Amino acid sequence: MTTRISLLAGIAAGAVLAGAGWSTAEAETTLTFTSFGGAYQKAQREAWLDPLEKELGVRILEDTLTGIAEVRAQVRSGAVNWDIVDLGLGDCSAGQAEGIFEPLDYQQIATQGIEKAAYDSHWIGVIYYSTVLGYSTERYKDKQPASWADFWDVESFPGARALRDYPIANLEIALMADGVPAGQVYEVLGTPEGEKRAFAKLDEIRDHIDVWWNSGAQSAQLLRDGEVDMSTIWNGRLDAIAEAGAPVAYTYNQGILALDCLAIPKGAPNRDLAQKVVARIVAPDLQANMPPLMNYGPTNAESFESGQITQEMRERSPSSPDNLKVQMISSAKFWEENRNRLQEAWDAWKTR
Amino acid sequence: MASNRASVSIAFRSISKHYGTFKALDRIELEIEAGEFLTLLGPSGSGKTTLLMLLAGFARPSSGVIEVAGSDITRMPPHRRDFGVVFQNYALFPHMSVTENVGYPLRMRRCPREEIDRRVADALELVQLGHLAERRIDQLSGGQRQRIALARAVVFSPRVLLMDEPLSALDKKLREQMQIEIRHLHERLGITTIYVTHDQREALTMSDRVAVIDGGRLIQLEEPASLYAHPATRFVADFIGESTLLPVARQAGRFAYGEQPVSIANPVPPGAGEHWLVVRPERLVLLDGAAPDGINRFTGTVEDVVFQGETLLARVRLATGDMLSLRRDTRREVMAGLPRTGEPISLGLAAEETVIVPERAP
Amino acid sequence: MSATGIESLAARRAGRPDANAPELAADERRERLHLFGLSLPALLVIGIVAFLPTAWLFWLSFIDEGSFSLAHYERMVREASYLRIFWSTFEISAVVTVIAILLGYPLAYLLSQLSERAASLLLILVLVPFWTSLLVRTYAWLVLLQRRGVINDWLQGLGLVDAPLRLVHNYTGTLIGMTHIMLPFLILPTYAALRTIDRDYLKAAASLGASPLRAFWTVFFPLSLPGLMAGALLVFVLCLGFYVTPALLGGGRVLLVSMKIQQNAGMYFEWGAASAMGVILLVATLGIFWGLGRLVSLDRVMGER
Repeated sequence: MTTRISLLAGIAAGAVLAGAGWSTAEAETTLTFTSFGGAYQKAQREAWLDPLEKELGVRILEDTLTGIAEVRAQVRSGAVNWDIVDLGLGDCSAGQAEGIFEPLDYQQIATQGIEKAAYDSHWIGVIYYSTVLGYSTERYKDKQPASWADFWDVESFPGARALRDYPIANLEIALMADGVPAGQVYEVLGTPEGEKRAFAKLDEIRDHIDVWWNSGAQSAQLLRDGEVDMSTIWNGRLDAIAEAGAPVAYTYNQGILALDCLAIPKGAPNRDLAQKVVARIVAPDLQANMPPLMNYGPTNAESFESGQITQEMRERSPSSPDNLKVQMISSAKFWEENRNRLQEAWDAWKTR
Repeated sequence: MASNRASVSIAFRSISKHYGTFKALDRIELEIEAGEFLTLLGPSGSGKTTLLMLLAGFARPSSGVIEVAGSDITRMPPHRRDFGVVFQNYALFPHMSVTENVGYPLRMRRCPREEIDRRVADALELVQLGHLAERRIDQLSGGQRQRIALARAVVFSPRVLLMDEPLSALDKKLREQMQIEIRHLHERLGITTIYVTHDQREALTMSDRVAVIDGGRLIQLEEPASLYAHPATRFVADFIGESTLLPVARQAGRFAYGEQPVSIANPVPPGAGEHWLVVRPERLVLLDGAAPDGINRFTGTVEDVVFQGETLLARVRLATGDMLSLRRDTRREVMAGLPRTGEPISLGLAAEETVIVPERAP
Repeated sequence: MSATGIESLAARRAGRPDANAPELAADERRERLHLFGLSLPALLVIGIVAFLPTAWLFWLSFIDEGSFSLAHYERMVREASYLRIFWSTFEISAVVTVIAILLGYPLAYLLSQLSERAASLLLILVLVPFWTSLLVRTYAWLVLLQRRGVINDWLQGLGLVDAPLRLVHNYTGTLIGMTHIMLPFLILPTYAALRTIDRDYLKAAASLGASPLRAFWTVFFPLSLPGLMAGALLVFVLCLGFYVTPALLGGGRVLLVSMKIQQNAGMYFEWGAASAMGVILLVATLGIFWGLGRLVSLDRVMGER
């Protein structure tokens, strides 16, 4: 392994030296922003990058990634091309622990209006999305499920159910269904008894789960085609099928918020400019540009006061103050520490 | 092993087989006596193999009746006919040993274990391959496979033995040896045997009678010697043995070759079309001086002489421009008397040896 | 070689014409080497695209946190879920293979008995799905089999069932989908093998007293076994690594090795753990081949061909 890394590092060092003249000439006027592509990155361009190019007089290039592995490879080889990367919360937390990010400059970044759980020394949350309880309005006309306890209540709410085939979110959900308050979920789950309790609760629902989904598209398809009547689903996915006319709805009550966050890879060529850009993106005015384009929640609560977000959008947004109140935020730190163990426990439980 | 079963007669009654508009067989009438060794002889595509397949039951005639021992078997499925068949490629089962192959027909008849063992051993002994019993088929030579195929076809004492060009894959020496062995086997078992071949020499060597088939029709059915001596048509004369055919024309009630009248002591078979004088190379004699009465005389020059071991073949160009072949044995005194290349030669054919055939049967 | 060269050689050899044996042998070796040289580019490509990645995989499986470690293998022994995942992978592969044989062999047999022309036409029907995207076919089964899918609609419309049958998102759906995808892999090699069986064998069996049914079982079927085995092994091995169809139709209830590998490599970037599973799967597969090879000697079945 070491041989390989030193070889790659050598190649990369050569590349950096060769490109040195070029990068100083371009320094501070160009920046590379890297995200997951697709509609999401298009919205990011329109909401954040276009206004910033005008405001700062810089050019922002784009690239796409699929996860932290590519960032890790760039940083470890010393050939860093990206200045800002958009990653899932778990990756951000892992990257910080591995030391592959630059520390963020909180002299420049105003954290007022941002939840404590939504930023850390080396990353900052940029959008919220939520794992919510989605259901068929056809099946549940009179009385709708409104909590994870209702999801577990197969007598009052008969019907086909689906959950994600994944420990993250499901263990939290199980504990909440068992009466643990949202604020204490990780505290309980962190103990052996709490873990046992979560799986014991899952045992109750196990035989009533018709499908264990493994992609966001699948969860949407299951609800849209009426294959199941109730499922966990990401709020954006459910919005999309509801807009397309499927008889489905969801509740934010006891939803589990997750974040996408921004980070600056260690050794990024334009890290000073990157600090400035990150600080602007999380500011309320630019944050408020996202909801009209896509229903991802701003991480800065002040953006809801900016006047750019309508009352209707506010009600639907996963991170509006009212919705934020009834949900919990997924703990990147907890999952970073316990993921391997709990994935094994999950697989053992699933294959039992 | 010996024929413990009376041999049976076979009859084809107006058998036809059509493939679309193509007539593979056209109203074949043929009776085969019990215990007879009959050969179906014809060039490839003549219909001889088709006739054998109909008899074996692998194909259905378009019309007509096949009788065996007087009863109609036309619609009987092949596995009930109780005929042994030897295929051209032997069709020995590659996944079975020699013993398993030969025992196969007995197992199909649910014979008891001991009887199978005994009869397989007898059959292998009959073809002198008892020592190969446990071999796999791919470990056998061509000649050994041939004998195993034969053993498998006779081990269950079938009513009839059918053979479809069984020797065509063997080299000449082995083939001639097997011809005699098969002939002996037939004599020992006395089983009615139908043998298909395109090799006229093989047909003449082995058969009690030969049925010559061409274009889906039975042309002539005869014992070998008389088939050779008295062909019925130009086709048969040409196909059987070696011959030169000279065109003859009927003039005032007699046949003549050019201006030369032909003396014949044999009746000319009925037929249609032109007539041909059949000259067998070994039946010609050398003449010095004038020809006696009753001998047809041909003069010409020696074109070339080819030495072929036990015989030599001389080709002679006649005054008419036609070629004749002359075969002589190679004893020193015979060879000394022969003219050399380019020298004139005078040949004679006795009236008793002179045969005239029509172009085709009536 | 110049004329003088030949002369001097001839002179040297005068009286000993058989002394050239070493040179002739060398010529033969050189010729053989040249023939080998022809296949060298192909061998190189195979080495690079097939052997190296496998070796890399093998190596990765022994690396944890940058140093040599058996941690990935230890975890597989420690965690009971791994054994269950391997077991269910081999089990479902075997079941799919058996179903594919039961469905595919009669079809291949039918094709082999038709005229070449009719068989080619029918083969196209076998091949059309084969040429269609795997994802499309898998989703097509989802559309057919789900709770409000075509089949349940019909069954309920005809009054045959009251409540929709659970046909997908479970073991049943996975079996249906996998079998459908795998069928061509069984039919094609089997059909090719059946075509080469000389019909004279069946005629011979009939003439020797075998009814059509007995002729089939005693002659045709044994001769078709090598082809059938080839097809069945192909299906079995492909099933072992099958991901898309079981992932989409299994509803998360069928957990196979491929999914666990995807989870490790694709979701957690744990190449070592994923590689270790790949290595175990490879070794287990080779072990099964070895065992099968001892049980049935293919040579014996093939005989002369």
